[in-house]
Amino acid sequence: MDAETTTSPLRWEFPEFGAFYQEHSKAIYYLALRLLRDPTAAEDATHDVFLKAFQKMNSFRNESNIRTWLYRIAINHCHNLTSTWHNRHIQSSDDAALLEGVSAQPNPLRILETKELGERIQKTLDALPQEYRLLLLLVADEKLSYEEIGALTGQTSDAVRGKLHRARKTFQIHFKTSE
Amino acid sequence: MPNEPSKLRHTQKQESTSEQTQGEQLKTDAKEFSSVEELLRHDAAQIAVPPAVAVKLNKSLADVPKPEIKSWWQRFVSRERL
Repeated sequence: MDAETTTSPLRWEFPEFGAFYQEHSKAIYYLALRLLRDPTAAEDATHDVFLKAFQKMNSFRNESNIRTWLYRIAINHCHNLTSTWHNRHIQSSDDAALLEGVSAQPNPLRILETKELGERIQKTLDALPQEYRLLLLLVADEKLSYEEIGALTGQTSDAVRGKLHRARKTFQIHFKTSE
Repeated sequence: MPNEPSKLRHTQKQESTSEQTQGEQLKTDAKEFSSVEELLRHDAAQIAVPPAVAVKLNKSLADVPKPEIKSWWQRFVSRERL
């Protein structure tokens, strides 16, 4: 359970939507963080994605998983952001801001460990082709099937499997050399 | 999801301030992950959404035109919880 779930005194304008946010926000924030490489941008993106979801819920088709639908909004949003001139030219921020959100006890060694591993993972993801990066982030979400990942990325589940195999290999090579 | 056979290893170097060491010493704390997915899930688990996002979102919800909240939200939430 998220820290915010247990500690937040927030009274939601729409409690049902609050429950929806609690269930899916962590996955969306993590995706945005690793795609945008900036905690502040990831915060803004998470806010914008859920606001769009709220406004567009009437267009949601029952034939797809709501999480898949939400991911689609998030992927499009992040893609639009990374396509702008500004985001192509800004530096990736330090993970220091990210650590404000670390869901652990404020143990300095643990924070250091999280920061170091997080930076190494980010560096490895940044070295991958954009498609591999997205596929790995999506497959890490156990709630998504290969079919759903295929639907999100516009390809068959077999194509997803094949590309994931190469994406994992590429990730491993970069990760091992980043130490 | 299938796992990769080779393991991903992350070694954390930590500074020890133990009195027994008579100064600074490095020790290692290695973590092993059996797959890329496991590594990324571990990474994701360390990260929480800043509470400020929910606060800002809640304020934004109050400002946007209200859609047919009851019908679609009740339908959606009940389906999700099945």
